Amino acid sequence: MSSLSRDDVAKLAGLARIEMTEAELVELSSQFGLILDAVARVQEMDLSGVKATSHPQPLENIARPDVVLPSLSPEDALSGAPAQEESRFRVPQILGEAE
Amino acid sequence: MIRNTAAQMADALAKGETTSVELTQAHLDRITAVDGQVKAFLHVDSQGALAQAKDVDARRAKGEKLSPIAGIPLALKDVLAQKGVPTTAGSKILQGWLPPYDSTVVSKLKDAGVVIMGKTNMDEFAMGSSTENSGYGPTFNPWDLTRTPGGSSGGSAAAVSAFEAPLAIGSDTGGSIRQPAALTGIVGVRPTYGAVSRFGLIAYSSSLDQAGPFGRTVLDTALLHEVMAGHDPKDATSIKAPVPAVVAAAKSGDVKGMKIGVIKQLQGEGYQKGVQTRFDESLQVLAGLGAEIVEVDCPSFEYALAAYYLIAPSECSSNLARFDAMRYGLRVGDDGARSAEEVMSMTREVGLADAVALGAEILAGQVRGRVVVRI
Repeated sequence: MSSLSRDDVAKLAGLARIEMTEAELVELSSQFGLILDAVARVQEMDLSGVKATSHPQPLENIARPDVVLPSLSPEDALSGAPAQEESRFRVPQILGEAE
Repeated sequence: MIRNTAAQMADALAKGETTSVELTQAHLDRITAVDGQVKAFLHVDSQGALAQAKDVDARRAKGEKLSPIAGIPLALKDVLAQKGVPTTAGSKILQGWLPPYDSTVVSKLKDAGVVIMGKTNMDEFAMGSSTENSGYGPTFNPWDLTRTPGGSSGGSAAAVSAFEAPLAIGSDTGGSIRQPAALTGIVGVRPTYGAVSRFGLIAYSSSLDQAGPFGRTVLDTALLHEVMAGHDPKDATSIKAPVPAVVAAAKSGDVKGMKIGVIKQLQGEGYQKGVQTRFDESLQVLAGLGAEIVEVDCPSFEYALAAYYLIAPSECSSNLARFDAMRYGLRVGDDGARSAEEVMSMTREVGLADAVALGAEILAGQVRGRVVVRI
């Protein structure tokens, strides 16, 4: 059976910006082992000769002529912003403690 | 009037026996009467709907050529962006958000003169199959209010089933149209991937998501499909081909000589007895009408569920990363001292109805992406 440590789950939760309690971390680390085993079944398949695909359509990269089309105005684009300043999205500090 | 099919309503409109305003008002009245119990709708846009209906009536009076379902009211799953109308995907994290643009599906509905009455309830971000996991409470099955309508498009299915709307739109990633249609006794179609534009559809699993029609008859879903489908340059996986003539096919109902495949790997275990019986009966009906029933062997289908549980959470993990409290939607804890990371975590904790379940889904996506190395 696959396993995942409590610390692995805590690291992933941090990356996904999901707050989890200690009990949840422990519970999930054991659940994930089971999930991984179930999903690992796909590894039984012989996929040699199968190309990696991101979608099922027989489409190549689609390019269009570089024509200017109407787009959202700054007011529309910012209309749902939790906070804005000078026509920009205002966000909390991203580089540690403020000076 | 509200118990007629959409095709019958369209016929009555064309003959001048009723108006879109009258039809829309009758459905809005029905919503007022029953939706307190069914809870199919998250938002009812009475004013907007009546304005659209009035506009279509005026165009019809002028003799304009209209689409076959112009003036018919419709319920829209809250996963599709509609300009200026609340769109939440069933999540508190998007409460109060007013999209600044229309999804392609909504644009096409508006062009066709379809009257959008409101937005329907769903499992949060379309993740679920009972419409119990919405940030705004559950929807109930109109046939038996103690049961779920299925999901994730349970609001749309319940609305059609309860005669609150003759037509509705849902979205289907792993059964979210087909299953609630079955559980509420109506018709629901998941179109071929790429047939309906995903532009403006809030993404769950991008390589699987597909919007599609609900109705009370096959013909009604065909009428809606022909309006909502079609190539869209704004969706990179949209099929560049004409929409098949499904309305003509539904009207003829001719299956003579048609070859219908029954997948070997999907037969046998796991079905309730009644379900299996009805399925077998439907095959007999089709055979009786001249269709040829053949068994199809699809060995890879045995791995379909495992592959689904790999693909869907992995893509969901990426798609839900955009709900980060920075550009739109809810923001919690921004007191000037907390970092962006802390604000993101706090917002997701508060904004996601079942943060642990969704978080587990998101993490599972990351775990699987990391562990299954060969893909």
